[in-house]
Parts: sequence; C-alpha cells; structure tokens
Amino acid sequence: MSIDITMPRLSDTMESGTILKWNVKEGDEVSSGDVVADVETDKATMEMQVYDDGTIARIVVDEGDTVDVGTVIAILAEEGEDPSGVDSSSESSEKKSKKKEAKASDDEDEEDSSDEEKSTATATKDRDDDEDDDSEEDDSDRESKSKKKDDSKKESRREDSEAESDDRGEKDSDRSRSDEGAGGNGRLRVSPVARRLADDHQIDVRNIQGSGPSGRIIKRDVMNAIESGAETRASVPPGAKRKSTSDVAHPIVPAAAQDEDQAPGPLEETSIKLSNMRQTIAKRLVESKTTIPHYQVTLTFNMDPLLELRKTLNQQLEPQGVKLSVNDFLVRACAIAMHRHHEVNASWGEDHIKVHGEVNVGIAISLPASRGGGLVVGVIRNADQMGLRGISAESKRLAEKARTKGLTTEEMSDSTFTISNLGMFGVEHFTAIINPPNSAILAVGAAIQKPVVRDGALAVGHEMQATLSLDHRVIDGAMAAEYLRTLKQIIENPASVLV
Amino acid sequence: MPREIEFREALREAMSQCMRDDPRVFLMGEEVAEYNGAYKVSKGMLDEFGPRRVIDTPISENGFAGLGIGAAMMGLRPIIEFMSWSFSLVAADQILNNAPKMLYMSGGQFGCPIVFRGNNGAGGQLGSTHSWCVESLYANVPGVKIVLPTTPYEAKGLLRTAILDPDPVFFLESERMLGMKGDVPEEPYEVPFGKARIVREGTDCTIVSFGRPVHFCIEAAETLEKDGIDCEVLDGRSVRPLDIDAIVKSVRKTNYCVVVDQAWPFASISSEIASQVHKRCFDDLDNHVHRVNADDVPAPYAYNLEQEMLPNARKIVEAVRSATYQA
Amino acid sequence: MTTATQPQAEENLAAKLPPDTLQQWLRDMLLIREFEVRTMQAYQDRKIGGFCHVYIGQEAVAVGCTAAVEHKDPIITAYRDHGHALARGMDPRYAMAEMYGKIGGCAKGKGGSMHLFDKPNNMFGGHGIVGAQCPLGTGLAFATKYEDEVMKGGTNTRVTLCFLGDGALNQGAFHEAMNLAGILDLPIIFICENNGYSMGTAISRGTTMGHNITSKAAGYGMESAIIDGMDIFTVYNGMKPLVDRCRDTSRPIFVDMRTYRYKGHSMSDPRKYRTKEEEQQYESNDVIDKLANWLMQEGHLTEDAYDKLVKEIRKEVRASMKWADNSPEPDIKELYTDVFVEEWGPFLGTSPPQIVKDAEGAGNDEDDDETREDDDD
Repeated sequence: MSIDITMPRLSDTMESGTILKWNVKEGDEVSSGDVVADVETDKATMEMQVYDDGTIARIVVDEGDTVDVGTVIAILAEEGEDPSGVDSSSESSEKKSKKKEAKASDDEDEEDSSDEEKSTATATKDRDDDEDDDSEEDDSDRESKSKKKDDSKKESRREDSEAESDDRGEKDSDRSRSDEGAGGNGRLRVSPVARRLADDHQIDVRNIQGSGPSGRIIKRDVMNAIESGAETRASVPPGAKRKSTSDVAHPIVPAAAQDEDQAPGPLEETSIKLSNMRQTIAKRLVESKTTIPHYQVTLTFNMDPLLELRKTLNQQLEPQGVKLSVNDFLVRACAIAMHRHHEVNASWGEDHIKVHGEVNVGIAISLPASRGGGLVVGVIRNADQMGLRGISAESKRLAEKARTKGLTTEEMSDSTFTISNLGMFGVEHFTAIINPPNSAILAVGAAIQKPVVRDGALAVGHEMQATLSLDHRVIDGAMAAEYLRTLKQIIENPASVLV
Repeated sequence: MPREIEFREALREAMSQCMRDDPRVFLMGEEVAEYNGAYKVSKGMLDEFGPRRVIDTPISENGFAGLGIGAAMMGLRPIIEFMSWSFSLVAADQILNNAPKMLYMSGGQFGCPIVFRGNNGAGGQLGSTHSWCVESLYANVPGVKIVLPTTPYEAKGLLRTAILDPDPVFFLESERMLGMKGDVPEEPYEVPFGKARIVREGTDCTIVSFGRPVHFCIEAAETLEKDGIDCEVLDGRSVRPLDIDAIVKSVRKTNYCVVVDQAWPFASISSEIASQVHKRCFDDLDNHVHRVNADDVPAPYAYNLEQEMLPNARKIVEAVRSATYQA
Repeated sequence: MTTATQPQAEENLAAKLPPDTLQQWLRDMLLIREFEVRTMQAYQDRKIGGFCHVYIGQEAVAVGCTAAVEHKDPIITAYRDHGHALARGMDPRYAMAEMYGKIGGCAKGKGGSMHLFDKPNNMFGGHGIVGAQCPLGTGLAFATKYEDEVMKGGTNTRVTLCFLGDGALNQGAFHEAMNLAGILDLPIIFICENNGYSMGTAISRGTTMGHNITSKAAGYGMESAIIDGMDIFTVYNGMKPLVDRCRDTSRPIFVDMRTYRYKGHSMSDPRKYRTKEEEQQYESNDVIDKLANWLMQEGHLTEDAYDKLVKEIRKEVRASMKWADNSPEPDIKELYTDVFVEEWGPFLGTSPPQIVKDAEGAGNDEDDDETREDDDD
C-alpha cells in the first residue's frame, strides 16, 4: 500500500507551503527521517522529512509550487511495492489539489484575499512568551496587527473619557447636556425604575416634569405624581415644598429654628419653582373643583360620650401601648355608616354610577418639609371590616411611613371616601375639595368645649363640626343629610362603633 | 465564650486552631517565626508548633510562594504569609499561573489547597510600591478565591474557612485594622465565602464594599441618616465568589447602588459589580451605579494626597447623595 | 567549594543490572523516540495544535534518571515533557490523546503538550513557563520530607527530581528555588538538561559561566555533578549515587546533564543557529544505538529481536494515535469543570481523568481499544 506524503504544517501558523527544492527524485529510496525537500513556510525555510521507509514513486508538486497544508505532494511506495504501479491512496485529494491550482490561476485575487483573512485569524491566535518566532511575520500580518492596535487604542481612549465623565466630570457633562433642554431632541429621559413605576400606575411619563440631571424623570418624580394624583385639598400647608436640586438657592428654614420673639423682617418676594407634587395637586384639584358640582352639608356632633369612651378605652389599653385618636373613631364610624348608605360610597362614571363593594377610607396626611411638604392620602382598606385597634394601628403606620419613607402606590390607591381632619390645629370648620374618583369628603374640625344645651339646660360640653363635600351628580342633598344623621347617631352613641 | 481580642489575635487563633487539628497545615513566610511576625500576627506560634511548622523564609516571594504550591500539590495545607500583598507581585507567575490553574491544567489531578495571606491596601504613607490593593488585579483570574475580612470575628471565621477550603485562597488583611478589637468566640467557627453580610439595613440606597472601606461606609451611612437617607450597607466578604444575589436583592429594594472599592477604578471590582447590577437590576435602578474608588493615580506619599486618593466617608456620602439625586 | 564530579563515574553500576532492566531501558528510549517522531508527524498533520517541543536526542536523560530513583519519588519538569511522562510510565495513549485535545488525554485535553500530568505515576507535570517548575519542585521535596519527618516522625524517604533546561538558569525562579532548597535542606536534585541552546540562543551567548554551570550551584554551597547525558550508562552511573546520597542526607544536589536535542526548540524552528555538522556529530553517536550495540555485544540482544522490538513499538505508538483519534473531544461542560474543587456558581466541580480512573480500577480493561465516554454526572 502506498503512502501519501502531504504538505506538512511546519509552523504553528502555516496554512500553505512552497516546495523550494526536492532533495529526492522519483525512484530514490528513502528512510524515515530523511529530509526530502526544503519547504518555505510563512515564517522560514524548513526541512521536510519523511516518516516512513520506501521508494519515491511519484513527485506530485513541482519545485516553486505552493500548495495548502495537507495536499499530497509525493507518493511513497513501501518496501516490496512496485513504484511504477502506485497511485495516491487518496486519488481524490490529488485531484482536489490540481483543481485548486487551476482555480488559483483563474481567480487569483479572490484566493489571495481569503488567504489573507485566514492567516490573520491564526496569527492573532498564537501568542506565547515561550517563542520568539514572529520576527519573520509577513507584511499582511503585521499590517493587520498594527491596524488592530490602532483600533484598540482608540477604544481605550474612548473608554478613558467615559470613565472620567462617570466619576469626575459628572456635573460638567450634566450641565452641558441640560443646555439642550430636557427632551429637546424629542427624547424623554426616564430612569428604568421610574418608567416601570409609571407603567404600573398607567401614568403617562410625558406629563411628568423630571427633576434629575438633564430633566431625567426619576423615581421620586413618579412617586410624587402618584401621590398628588390622590390630592384632595386646594389648601396646602404653607412652606410645604419639596427639596430638590433646584431649591438649593432657597433653603427652607426649619420652623423650630425661627425665633418667634424676633421682630419679623420684611417679607422677601421669591418665586418658588413648582415641584411635581405641587403641579399635580394644582392640576387635579382645579379639575375637581371645576368639573364636579360641589355642595356642602354641615352637622354638629356632641362629642362628650365619645371622648368619655375614648378616655376609658385608652386607660384600659395603655399597658398594651395602644392610644386611640378621635380620628380612629371617625374612620370607623364613617365606614360602618356606608353600610346603610351605599350610594355615598360611589364614583361618577360619566354614563353610570359605580357603587363600590369595598369601603376604603382615605386619610389625608400632610408631609413634613423635610420630605418636601405637600400631602398624601393613605388608604385604610376595608375599614368597615376592621376594629378600632386595627384602624388605629394602620392609620398610625400610614402616617409614620408617609412622613419618613413615603407610601407605596398601593397604600395610596383605591380609596372610596376620604376624611380630612384639621382638628389638631384648632380649626372649627372648613370645607374640603373632593378627591376624585370619590364622591364625598368629610372635613373634620376640632372637638371644642363650649356652652351647650343638653336636655333643655345650658351645660358645658364638647362639640365638633364636620362638613361633607359631595358630588351632586352622584349624591343628592337629602342622601347626604341622611348619611350625616347616621354618622351623628353612631358618634353620639359610640358604643356602637365597638361592635 | 466571646471575649474582646485584636484582629491579629483572631487571625492567629484561626491558624493555631487549624494547625492543632490538622498536621498538614503549616505557616511559612518572612519573619513569621523567630521575629514573631512582622506585624505580630504569628506571635507565639513558633513556641507552640516549632520551626518545622512555623517557617521563616528568605525575602524570596516567588520562591516560597511556588514552594507552597508544590507542597499543596502533594496534599499539604500551606499558609503562606506575604508581609504585604504588594510583594506578591514578584510571585505573580506562581500565584496566578500555577495556583489557580493547576487543577484545570492537570484535568482534575492536582488541586491546590493553599492560603496566601497578608496585608493589603494603602493608608500608611508607604508610597506607591508598598500600597497595593491587589483585589481587582487578581480577581481577573479564574480559579482563585479572594477574601477581605472586616472585623476580628469575621477574620477568624473566614480564615478558618480559607484554610479548610480545597482551592487556593487569597486572604487580604489590612495592617490598618490589625489592632482593631472585637468580640470573638474562643471556639473554632467558620464564616462562609460568597455570602454577603448586611452590616446595616436600610431602604434608600445600597452601599456595597469589601474589607476596610466597609467601616467608611458605616460612617457615611450614619452621616446620611441624619439627612433622612437610610442606607443599607453590605460587606461582600469575598470578591470571588461574589454574592451578587445579595447585592441584587438589596438594590431591588432601594433602587440605588454605590460600590466602594479601595482599588483603582479601571477594570475593577466596582466596575464588575456595576456591570452586573446594571444587567440584573436594570428596571429597578433610578440612577446608574455610582462608584467610589481610589483615584486613578499611583499611591502618593504625602499624607494629605494619600488621604485624598483613598475612598473615605466624605466621598461615600457625596456618592450616595449624587446617586439618590440629593446632592 | 563545588564538589563537581567528572563525567565518568568510578563504577559501571548499570552494567551490573539484570539484562531485563537494560532491555527495558532500550524499549523505553525507543518508545520515546518513536512517540516523538509520530508527534511531529501528527503536528504536521494538524492533529496536534499549539506549541510542541520534542525530546528526540535526550531520551537517555529521562530514562536513566527515572531508573535511578524509585516510583514513589516525585518528578517534575518543564514543557519538553513527553519523554519524562513516558519514562515514568504514562501510557502513550493518554499522552497522545492529550496532545490531540481529546477527553482521553491525561488532563482531559485541557493541558496540552506542555502540561502532561500523571498523578498515579507521581509525575507532577510539565510546566510551560521557563523555570517556574523549580519552586514547585522545592515544594514537592518540602512536602515529602514534612510528611515523613513532621507528620510521621520518621526520616525522609523520598527524593524529588526537578528537571530544567539550561534556559531556566537565567530565571529568578531557579535561583530562588536553589536558595530555598539549600536553606531548608530539601531532598531535591535539580537536573539541568543542558542541551546548549535556550530556544535559539547558544548557552555562551545567554548565560555567564555557561561553560561550567555547576558554578551556579557553588554559589549556593550545593553539591553538584557534571554527567554525560548522551549515554544512558553514564546517566545512571552518575545519578544513582547522587540519588542515594540525597535520600540519606536530605541535601539538595545540582546536576549539569550534558545532552543534545536533535530537533528544533519547537516545531517551527528551522535551526539556522547551528550547523549540520554539529547535529550529525551527535546523531552519529546516538544514545539508542549505543545501548542497542552494547546489548548485542554482550549477547543480550539479536538483530532480529531488535527489529522486532522496533516494529512492536511502532505498532504501539500507532495504536496510541488511533486511540487518540477515536477518543471524543471533551464535552463542552469540561470548560467549567476543574476550575474549583467544589461546585458553585457556574463551576461544575472536578472529575478525574481516565488516567486516574484506570489506575484506581487497574486491570479492568487493559486492552480496551475503544475510548469510553466520560459520562460522569
């Protein structure tokens, strides 16, 4: 059986080789290890040896010809074999090499370029400190390598400048970007979490003013939009102003730091930039006040029984750390009153009125200046199903959280009725603006000790005024009056709130 | 029973307890024996274990690092002390080419259960050559575990885990912390790798760090708390394995992330964490991850320059404020 | 204060060994020679990739040195490591499959030509970085002595052979290892296979005192010897007393082993830095021929038996190539095995290669020509 001698790979990057010189001719006997040809590789001129003993039967590739590694270049007849009768053990491969030669001459350009590609690919692969054999690299390799070097240089320079703006030049670059104006190029900047929150609450981010760098809409902006979406009152505590980068020029002086005895200086005229929350409050309340036909109904409540009960209960509950507020009783009373007056627990739906199945009572919570001021409505869900202690705990939790960490959207959503209480400021009477989509809001004043008529006699007692604002599209005057009467019955006979 | 001991004593206790348990464990390094340790970490160990197990070497890091690796290939459990990780650079071929790759190159035949430990980091006015923070540089190499303890308790537990670990561990201490005191139980215990410690819970911003800068993070968090910014501080414990899950969990809660890394910023642990957080928390982020690194310059000698170069509480406070849009 | 001995040992210890042993040496050297020739062929056929350094010409060193030690004695070498692995007893199938990048390789195809490891035969690797194996070698010697003396309370029983090329003489790692071995009294023999060239640079051009490298050992107060590596008798006769002394005294020794590689540094080396005459001078005095002739003169070998041996080895090596060819490529999951011992994250823990499994379950399938799937879970 004859043995094919193929073009060997004589270097790690060699793809093809040129037979410079045959050291044998057909008919010569050779033995393993004999150098039969000199082959020029991509790196050097190398000696080519045979690995088997035998007679050179045929030389297939002539001196000066270049063939791919693996191509049959000569055929060896083994001991005892007739050299004249042998043929390549893989005739097809011989044909292939011939075809390749023909193709090369026909279509040299194409062949060249693909070869170059190949050699570049291998040249970049083979680096090792162990070898110093790239001194004879061909030009195309060197060229492509130097090109690569240039590219990587460019890239690293780009990265450098990015890193710089990342860490050092952030303010500068932000400033230069904000000159273009937010969305000046029509692109809205929204942080990923802000976008997600807005999507969750079906809020159109285009209506939100971003407060981040370059007008980027950030989580806080969306949270404010959600919160003020629940805004109910037109009046906002003075000085309630959220802190933001734009406010730095006008720092808020904490109330405690102001010296009351000091003669007030002239008021300085300032222009306060609107926060997102403020903008939303303005927008929503104008909408409420101008589109909802408001009317108010006021009733006075005898608070003595409730205050007496509260005192007793709080004494009993003190060891457990529970302290019920008047408002907790009101939430409970308003909620259970709904069971007799479903129509108050309803929303206007343009072509229908939706009467809700759950009684979720919103309570207006004003925010401290340190959290940017303004107010939010926390929602006590299924307040009609909760006892006083539960309501008390939940309302404390909501108020505390709203003032420290902020409420989640869920904690501010789905109210069906709202209570706004300014009694703690000593306010006797006020009216509130409806918090859509509610149809009613109860504005609660302080329980004030005053001369009262009880059982036909003048006495000293506590009275409280509460004013219900209503949407006349949903609730008529008599319905409102009946709801208030029920509420009055409950409040003046407070034991009923306990059951 | 816990009692208050120094960081260096905690390290020593971990080594001594392991050496009592397992005769394959030995300690080798410059000045570890007769001098009682350049930083007194191994004080008294020569007396207890003798010169065959607590071994002084010449100043020859490449040599004794390689010696340790060869001994580990034979099944011993060497602890090799680098007086400073800055000096590990002359042993780079051994600790980066041999220790982490032996198991792989031998197709699972030869593992390398070895601990390299010593001081890492700047802050002592030692100039550029002696102030290396090697964690970012070495973290690029697969096959090593890299651990940075933050307290005496952590140091003892993590070092024991390192000695028992079947793979090479780089244990990066800080000479600035060796005198730090803390409660440490007398009995042996392990603190796991790859499990971040929540040093401080918070809701407003996640701060991630490793080793000594964790203390700066705590300081910064206390300052920020006064402004109503409630930070969550994570001590990653090990750079590799990295507890990215814990970081992700925290960032999903806070929506903000600041990474504090005492090494240089380019291609660093902080850039790696930033990249992973951006990938895994993309929809939870309200701002890009902010990084606090050493400045991208060689460590200077002058006190003020060096202090300015390194991460500190002020820089962390600024970064958190910037990240949470409260600058 | 060097105590360098001269090339010729006083006593021809080798000649007194049983003829079987010497015949085995001949077989081992022939196996290495044939294996390397076929390695070159396989490299040129692109079956083997990367860098490849063959050992042809130096066979007497690996075979003679391993003959002078016991199987329990660790050996470690640089990247021209095929000869040492085979001399130590590695089945050529595992070595060839390793170079073919197949799962049946000694390192599951993950080490390659320069990184042959054989734990069952106490072969601690082929190491790719010049000189880097020297500190590792001191570690092996440290560990054997520590196990024997500190852990078992006895005296040292093992000698480590640490092979290096003359190019490693100029690496810091070599000098640090020499110093540590001296300071710590380690039972190690550094065998410098001095073939006169570090890659393409003649020793006189790259190494001070290149004409007498035992002067390096003198600087460390270390015993040293010059041994003719081109004759297996001189190798064995020179090494045996050194090994015995090293085992007894637990003191390191340095050997200038004068040898010659017939081929280039690597497969792409045209060897223009030396003359044909020089190569022919060595090749005409070939190490294998020398031993074969001696055995024939002494009547321990006939021409026919020699031819038969050559054919047998050729068959064995060809079979190893076929075996390597048939061995599957490593599963892609191998990418993530053996990074760490235990599983975590993306890493899949470790699993032993077939060379270890076969040694553990020895005798199960000695003649199994089929490569079995490595289907560990």
